[in-house]
Amino acid sequence: MTFPVPCIRPAAPRLRALLLLLLLACVAPIVHAQEAPYFVTYDHHLEEPGNLELETSSTLGLPRSGQRLFFAPYSEIEYGITGRWTTELYFEGQRTSGDSAVFTGWRLENRFRPLKREHWINPVLYLEYEGINEATRIQKEIVGHSEPSAARNAELAGTHVHELEGKLILSSNLHDWNVAGNFIAEKNLSATEGFEFGYSMGVARPLARIATSGQCRWCRENFIAGVEMYGGLGSTLDLSLHHTAHYIAPVIRWQIGDSSSIHFSPAIGLTHVSNPVLLRFGYSYEIQAFGRKVARMFGGKP
Amino acid sequence: MIRLWTPFLPMLLIVPMAVAQNQNYQRDPSWRVPTEAIEKANPLAERPELAAGGKKLFTRNCVECHGKSGEGLKKAADLQLPVVQGQSDGALFWKITNGNPDRGMPSFSRLPELQRWQIVLYLRSLRRTESSQ
Repeated sequence: MTFPVPCIRPAAPRLRALLLLLLLACVAPIVHAQEAPYFVTYDHHLEEPGNLELETSSTLGLPRSGQRLFFAPYSEIEYGITGRWTTELYFEGQRTSGDSAVFTGWRLENRFRPLKREHWINPVLYLEYEGINEATRIQKEIVGHSEPSAARNAELAGTHVHELEGKLILSSNLHDWNVAGNFIAEKNLSATEGFEFGYSMGVARPLARIATSGQCRWCRENFIAGVEMYGGLGSTLDLSLHHTAHYIAPVIRWQIGDSSSIHFSPAIGLTHVSNPVLLRFGYSYEIQAFGRKVARMFGGKP
Repeated sequence: MIRLWTPFLPMLLIVPMAVAQNQNYQRDPSWRVPTEAIEKANPLAERPELAAGGKKLFTRNCVECHGKSGEGLKKAADLQLPVVQGQSDGALFWKITNGNPDRGMPSFSRLPELQRWQIVLYLRSLRRTESSQ
């Protein structure tokens, strides 16, 4: 069964959101410590203790023939509990062209850094619980095997899944380059699917090594660029690369303000079960010393 | 299931925030810099004009805890003190790079190496003079 690929209507709300983003870029004060530009790969840098980061990102999936275009936005609230423990809460949704828009669930992730100092390779342990449904399309990680689905959102959203996901994050800073690799294992607690595996790896570098003295928005030090690659590695039921999706994706992050940045990545699908293109974009805003401000509200020590 | 959980989700973040905030600053005697790091020279030592860029980086990354003049808020060290200024460039660079995560000082290894050295250049300008003491 094939579905026609509908054309996208020029959506006024999206245009307004883009204009708002550009406006923010023009009025926000200048820049903060560079974060890696990756969307899928994690490096070993955790959120600074007490800081809260709000991020909204989206994955726009361009379809193969017979499939539908989808738009999957998600919001993240990230908090640095200590220097070695960061927690993050996600809410996600999805809109498929010619179909409905649905809420697809929430995720709670935690990252722990076991070693205190910087080493040649820095490990981070990642544990995530996902309370999602089958309509999820944000593709924050690619695991197991992929099957193109023509099912309607209403049907997919009715199938709830509870998943546990673990990652081993290994990351190095080699001079000014960051090199990171993640090994992913995921277990669907709602079904007897075995464990599904995946990987992601990335390399990124700031475009300038020295900070200029003046405030500037467009200078190279505000940009960090790189490339990441990610995909599925099968499952314990079929440990093979058949029907696995893989992507290669240039990534760029632009620090547009003291606390805000945008990042963008066009991911190219490398196999026949991958989407041909995934366009990812995100905006993040960091509130420094948020925990201290909250503690002060409740009479804690500043 | 999701509806039942939703009101409790913010609690998952707020509770750790409340318990994680703490304490006034106290020196950590276990935060020791390796000898080879202490001996490292600042590659930008001959380029003092780059301290201006260091000031910008300091303002963005350090002021929240160490204060505008590095005077130190309750949790963070006073960077003007002789006990800080008496440390070598290499030692300060190592501390900026590694942080002291168990005491709230984050690692800034995400900044390019030369930018961390620029911060060290700027820190030297915070040295308290006799008249200001």
